[in-house]
Amino acid sequence: MPAASIDVRGVSKIYNPGSQQPVKALDTVSLSIADNEFFTLLGPSGCGKTTLLRLIAGFEQVSGGEILLFGEEIAHLQPSQRSVNTVFQHYALFPHMSVAENVGFGLERLKKPKDEVVSTVKRMLSLVKMDHLADRRPSQLSGGQQQRVALARALAPSPKVLLLDEPLSALDLKLRQTMREELKQLQRETGITFVFVTHDQDEALAMSDRIAVMSEGHIQQIGSPTEIYEHPVNQFVADFIGDSNFLDGEIIAIEDDIVTCKIGSESVFEAENSGNHAVGDQVTLFLRPEKISLTHSTDESTDNHRRGKVSNIVYLGNEAAYTVDMGDGISLMAQARPKEDGNLPFAIDDDIAVGYSNRALRVLAK
Amino acid sequence: MTERDLKSSNMAKAKALPVGHYRGLGVWNFFFMVFLYAPIAVLIFYSFNANRMVINWTGFGVEWYIKAFNNEDIQDAVWNSLIVAFVATGVATTIATIGALILARGGNFKGKTASLGLMMLPLMVPEIVTAVAVLIFFATIGLNWGLGNVIIAHITFCIPFAFMPIRARLEGMDTTMEQAARDLYASEWETFRYITVPMLMPGIVAGAMLSFVISLDDFIITLMVGGAGSTTLPVYIYSMIRRGLTPEINAVSTLLLLFSVAIVTAYWFVSKKSNTKTVH
Ligand SMILES: Nc1ncnc2c1ncn2[C@@H]1O[C@H](COP(=O)(O)OP(=O)(O)OP(=O)(O)O)[C@@H](O)[C@H]1O
Ligand SMILES: [Mg+2]
Repeated sequence: MPAASIDVRGVSKIYNPGSQQPVKALDTVSLSIADNEFFTLLGPSGCGKTTLLRLIAGFEQVSGGEILLFGEEIAHLQPSQRSVNTVFQHYALFPHMSVAENVGFGLERLKKPKDEVVSTVKRMLSLVKMDHLADRRPSQLSGGQQQRVALARALAPSPKVLLLDEPLSALDLKLRQTMREELKQLQRETGITFVFVTHDQDEALAMSDRIAVMSEGHIQQIGSPTEIYEHPVNQFVADFIGDSNFLDGEIIAIEDDIVTCKIGSESVFEAENSGNHAVGDQVTLFLRPEKISLTHSTDESTDNHRRGKVSNIVYLGNEAAYTVDMGDGISLMAQARPKEDGNLPFAIDDDIAVGYSNRALRVLAK
Repeated sequence: MTERDLKSSNMAKAKALPVGHYRGLGVWNFFFMVFLYAPIAVLIFYSFNANRMVINWTGFGVEWYIKAFNNEDIQDAVWNSLIVAFVATGVATTIATIGALILARGGNFKGKTASLGLMMLPLMVPEIVTAVAVLIFFATIGLNWGLGNVIIAHITFCIPFAFMPIRARLEGMDTTMEQAARDLYASEWETFRYITVPMLMPGIVAGAMLSFVISLDDFIITLMVGGAGSTTLPVYIYSMIRRGLTPEINAVSTLLLLFSVAIVTAYWFVSKKSNTKTVH
């Protein structure tokens, strides 16, 4: 196996150590990013994503642990000595330089020959479709255009790794979606390792090869988008990514691959056995709303059939989110598509059938 | 204008409502302008008097300007003023730039707040106190460089004026740009040269212009410190007045005023240009 592009080994970061209020931003974080990978750091505000990026870029020093870039320890290297480039959250384009000068800045510092600088700048600007605005100043560009220039500037010196700190967060929804695809395509074309920071789960799921979900300076889970979405290791991950129903209860029986749990005072739910559980364990069951089928009469194709009463509807256009009261203090969120004529299939207080397969209901450890 | 009017107009301002419709405000404004500019207008007006009387208008003429231009003492004074202003501005702006950079980018060092305070304190000290202090200081160490003494004194009081706009500019600049440059393989020196200095330039230019005007117009300190042969224009004008008023004084003062206004206007344009961002 080739050396990982970035190896983060037990890295901790404490801001203001020795002061009145030291801030532990990262706590023994370890992860390994493969070459050519689109790797995403995902987590809520303040969880340490930017801190990790700044440690890799060299703007901060680790308080413990080590970071390897293609097998080489980089703690002693200045930011200018690391073949890593950053796309900053607010782009940080140099306001007193033209677009072309911005893009050429890194190449000139690397003392590339003049004609090479010119041709690379041209190539980079056409890569991000900005060649027609090469002579503009950054202040004369829209947010999306500045974003592209920042990308071109960071890519121009052909770094081994590109770090992107929430590069799309300042753009409007439509543009963000276009840029997602462009970024992903850019990564495939250039073959550069991308480390992408975001707190937007859709963005992470749509673009990443692998995602590291972080919270309060810890890594909660690392995995492919499907692993993270379908098999979250704990409630934090399940809750942070997508919508979920959580049911707290106790295991009352385990039989082969089925775990039986008591939820509320008398309801019994069966779920897929994810191993490592014993009878009497307090657990949380987790069920994605889209795995629930709502029908008027019982849907025989599902393993479990229950009945409930619609207690709330949120109309979202392409679908409607239903809250179904299952009795015993349990309510489930589910989704249903509007009918062909645009009307919603169920109304408030309708008595409906709720079906799901055993495999959709999973056990999360407490 | 009654006190109530004044109060309500202040309140209106706080709420950013237009205050133009308050009656009496225009009149107030007019008297304010007259108060500020009438003396200067009179000064300029009589500089064109064809008579040697300062307050008796007899006809238009520029003979006092011609006379002033041909007066060798005035020429010397102008030269002294310009030399002092240029050298003092250059040195003061350099020191102020370095000081502002250390205070803004030097991290948290001991005595940072005290340094900042000491940098700004000369603005509060009465000029006459500074003048006497500098005079005694020079006498004590036996420094007797003529115009050099004046230049050193000017550097001292110009520093805080140069410092203010530079520091203001630095405050508004975060270190992200510099980090971006470092990230793009620029050495520390290259980052300073290609990023920090160009981005700081509007502040530096503003600081330099401000200290130039301050130096050019200074009277008290120059009068105290400057000996014979190091007379600057303001000091010379004062000595002319003591010998009796002629429109020549008006002419010279008008020229000095014109020069100051030109620099302040340039300062205004520079700072305006650096503040406006072209909107897309
Ligand atoms: N320079 C600093 N000095 C002190 N504390 C800091 C500093 N930078 C970050 N922190 C703290 O470290 C923690 C992690 O910050 P970080 O910027 O890495 O979060 P983040 O995950 O990037 O958040 P966001 O999504 O809001 O950008 C936060 O609690 C923050 O307050
Ligand atoms: Mg951040």
